[in-house]
Amino acid sequence: MELEIIKKGEETIVAINGRVDTVTSPELEKGIAGLLAENGISLVFDCKGMEYISSSGLRVVLSAHKKVTAGGGKFALEGLSREVKSVFDLTGFSSILTIR
Amino acid sequence: MEKELILRNKREDISLLAPFIEEFASQAGVPEGLVFSLNLAVEEAVSNVILYAYPPDEEHTASLVASRRGNEITFILSDTGKEFDPTSVPEADITLSAEEREIGGLGIFLVEQIMDTVEYQRTGDKNILTLKKLL
Repeated sequence: MELEIIKKGEETIVAINGRVDTVTSPELEKGIAGLLAENGISLVFDCKGMEYISSSGLRVVLSAHKKVTAGGGKFALEGLSREVKSVFDLTGFSSILTIR
Repeated sequence: MEKELILRNKREDISLLAPFIEEFASQAGVPEGLVFSLNLAVEEAVSNVILYAYPPDEEHTASLVASRRGNEITFILSDTGKEFDPTSVPEADITLSAEEREIGGLGIFLVEQIMDTVEYQRTGDKNILTLKKLL
């Protein structure tokens, strides 16, 4: 898994490429920890390059959503493939997160 | 058609699953569209064992056997770790809001959503989890 962090206007985009599984999700958690500490951040996960996600990755996503919104910021996901989106649908995450 | 993978109780061994499932699927003629969800169900079951079944400072292994008989795909996961029946874990409540959702508890929920049958047996010192999916 590889991360790329890009500032685009008001938004901070994190492009997540590759597999987010039990092995790699701790790297995702570490890679975004600094961003989650910023109050009022507009954080977007760009998932176009995300090939796979398991519950360990969903935990990182949910925790990011909680921290960002608690700090008065906004959190969204975009570019999910049909298969990755299906994991969010199965777990009910699609209805509690902003997916665009 | 049967294939076995031996995994150590090391987090990095989870990386062996995706190539194993892909190879099994292509050899057993499993439709490509199912590989993602089978990989997901198996990872959730295996990661429970690898991360929690054994004391972290001891090295142990678990076995995953994938097979196809007719239109039925079966994964049998066995380990000699502490007794744990994942099917007894209360189902995650997926109707709660983000703030109320617990971080965790989703793994076995996904396994049960994806597979047709999930059965646990304790035989001797072994945990045996059988996952089945009809094609």
